[in-house]
Amino acid sequence: MLEVRTLTAGYGLAEVLGDVSLSVRAGEVVALLGANNAGKTTFINSLSRLVSIFSGSVVFDGQDITAAKPDDVVGLGIVQVPEGRLVFPKMSVRENLLLGGSHPRVRRDRLAQMENAFGLFPILKERAQQLAGTLSGGEQQMLAIARGLMAKPRLLMLDEPSLGLSPRFVQYVFDAIDRLRSMGLTILLVEQNLTMALRYADRCYVMERGRVVVEGDPNAVRDDPRTRTAYLGL
Amino acid sequence: MRREFYDTLLSPGLWLICALLAALPLFLSGYHLQIVTLALTYAALASAWNIVGGMGGMLSLAHSLFVGIGGMFASALLIRCGINMWVGSLGAAILAAGAGCLVAWIGWRFRLGHLLFALITLAFAEMASIVAMNCEFLGGASGLFLPPDKGRFIAFEFGGMHGTYWVMLLLAAGCIVSNLAVLNLPLGYRLRAVRDNADAAQAIGVPLLRTQVVAMAVSAFLTSIVGSVYARYLSFVDPQLLVSPTLTVEIVLFATVGGLGRPFGPALGALILLPVGEVLRGQFGGALPGLHYFIYGLVVIVVVRFAPRGVLPTINGGWSKFRARRADRIVHAGTNTGVSVTSGAGQN
Amino acid sequence: MVQGMLIGSTYGLLALGMGLIFGVMGIVSFAQGDLVSLGMFLCLALYAGFGLDPYVSVFVTVPLLMISGGAIYWFLIRPIAGQHLLMVVQLTLGLSFVIQNGLLMTFGGQAQRVPSVVDSDLLIVRDVVIQMPHVIAAAVSFGLALGLYAMLGWTDAGRAIRAVSQNSHAAYLMGIKVARVRLVTFAIGCGLVAIAASLLAPGAVMVPAQGFRYTVIILLTMVLGGMTNFVSIMCGGIVIAMSEAVGAVYFADTFGLLLPYLVFVLVMIIRPQGLTWRTT
Repeated sequence: MLEVRTLTAGYGLAEVLGDVSLSVRAGEVVALLGANNAGKTTFINSLSRLVSIFSGSVVFDGQDITAAKPDDVVGLGIVQVPEGRLVFPKMSVRENLLLGGSHPRVRRDRLAQMENAFGLFPILKERAQQLAGTLSGGEQQMLAIARGLMAKPRLLMLDEPSLGLSPRFVQYVFDAIDRLRSMGLTILLVEQNLTMALRYADRCYVMERGRVVVEGDPNAVRDDPRTRTAYLGL
Repeated sequence: MRREFYDTLLSPGLWLICALLAALPLFLSGYHLQIVTLALTYAALASAWNIVGGMGGMLSLAHSLFVGIGGMFASALLIRCGINMWVGSLGAAILAAGAGCLVAWIGWRFRLGHLLFALITLAFAEMASIVAMNCEFLGGASGLFLPPDKGRFIAFEFGGMHGTYWVMLLLAAGCIVSNLAVLNLPLGYRLRAVRDNADAAQAIGVPLLRTQVVAMAVSAFLTSIVGSVYARYLSFVDPQLLVSPTLTVEIVLFATVGGLGRPFGPALGALILLPVGEVLRGQFGGALPGLHYFIYGLVVIVVVRFAPRGVLPTINGGWSKFRARRADRIVHAGTNTGVSVTSGAGQN
Repeated sequence: MVQGMLIGSTYGLLALGMGLIFGVMGIVSFAQGDLVSLGMFLCLALYAGFGLDPYVSVFVTVPLLMISGGAIYWFLIRPIAGQHLLMVVQLTLGLSFVIQNGLLMTFGGQAQRVPSVVDSDLLIVRDVVIQMPHVIAAAVSFGLALGLYAMLGWTDAGRAIRAVSQNSHAAYLMGIKVARVRLVTFAIGCGLVAIAASLLAPGAVMVPAQGFRYTVIILLTMVLGGMTNFVSIMCGGIVIAMSEAVGAVYFADTFGLLLPYLVFVLVMIIRPQGLTWRTT
């Protein structure tokens, strides 16, 4: 479904990613792992076209999208749920969801889509008129995921969904990911939480200093000594 | 003080330029000499402003207030109270420095940030011009006439155009040297640190308030002195000229065009732009009033858009690139004699 | 007093446009007052050329200023967005010089007026005499402010504008065309300027150099209103204009002229965050 080949990207003149190749097949949950500053966020931001791509190619469903614009990417169904949630704090939950469905491709049936989102996260329906900034961290994360779902993603990219959450909510978020998978959604998951990610992912990539150092199925990745090195920076 | 300061100060090119400028009155007609004097005035003002506006990133639009204090207050002291203008201008300069401290303190106290600082200082400038226009002591809207210049040095009289020219040259040079000095003193490092990231600078122990207050005081002091000499040169103190925000904007635009934060940039901007503007004004001023301002505005838009670091650094950068390329070519031609390329120009 | 309140709503409207631009782009234009001036002189030119009433010329000046504002944003401000914030200030200061002196070269420096049909009409309520243009100005300004509020609150375009101002990164991820939203916001700000210019023009004495004063008033109002808060910006406009009117009527000297500034300084010392009581 998604095929990234020898991607280099970065900010200004600084190259953050070097030769990253990665593929995601339809219906899979792929986890992108690594320590802080390994380049995971930069990678998915370059897919969302918020970071400039220097070379390499990104192919989605047989279509080259290396030169696409941020809103084109969303239009194709590649939707990112950003790190730190980044809900719009001074807007209500409902307005946040409406904004999630603001791309012309999905605008028409966004109300129906909102009902789906409420079905997945019932708490959001109760809080629909509340300002997003007043929600708890876990609720904000749910809102951020629901907001991403509003754009009818085909590939959902979740950046650190468990960051800063209590264990109960971490479990809740991963359960939600499991449900989304069973609904047939393809997910690219960026995580620092190695144990949880390995338990839920179908395949894993481990990044270190802007490069992919290990890839394979969760068990192989867990046992690979290079994973340990990448995490501990030894 | 870093060694670079003395190196720059002793560089022969600089002295040559100074000598040329000093000899200029001997060749120029009265009209042209007036223009060059005016250019030097603005060069001095722009350089003084550069200490806060360029190096410190505090976009003060209140500098017309300092010019006004130097020009009007010192003149008023002379005319109303008979106080010698040397004393008066020194007193005015100290007052201006105090006002500068106050402005910097307000900026610090209310955490104004860059934009709000520019705005609040603009409000100060507007207030100052209202006060000046309506204050009888300062001459009100009609202004003050200074007694004719009889060349008595002791009475702050410099003997007509030539004398004033040399004094202004001295002042401009003084302002540029202060720029160099500030740049190479710890104050300069702190200022630039604060400009680029105030929080980070504070975190590594830069005293924010003191740095900004000192810079503002130095800048206001110099500006006020220049204001006094300018008033003496004009012999007529016009609040619409000296205390108008337009004057500040002119200074800011000249400095921006020349190159913010560079010791020579603002002066260069003024020395290039002002004569052009004045000549245009002389040619078309009757038919098209405001043409010179129009041109200044246009030039600054073009400069900000295409060479945001200013004219001087861009020329410098272009020059070192040119040299580098030439050196490259020499190396590639196989002479390979170890030509070393120094691209230090344009850095500070 | 009443006149101050009425004029204040127009200042408030201008400051709203500026606040919108500040919220979405984080920049402040020091040429905004000169755009007001430009709008007023366009009214003058349209009157002199075609006999158009200032209220009619809105239909010409709004599109004109929106397009030129959009062009200013797209070709001048957007490319330097990555630079230090202050470059925008210098750029707009330069722009202010260009507009102001362009007007001076075109229209000359004498004070001029644009007459309008309602110019000399007076509205007399018991012992209060109000000039008709001021009533119209207040009504239109409040109407537009409400309209703007509704647009921001309940339309997709308004939500997109608020989204960009609250978090532009997240706005990109929603598939919002952020650059276009910014362009439109800037153009809206300039359109409001054109409308305000037509509201201020009838009967007003105008000179090219006035733009600077308008800039100061707009920015003061905006700061007084806490930069982006809708209701308090409108209040800020009224406070500024009322102190201006009171100063002009009751203290016919320096103090009167200084009053708006003094009020401003006072408010800033007591409430540095502006007139905001609560966030909306």
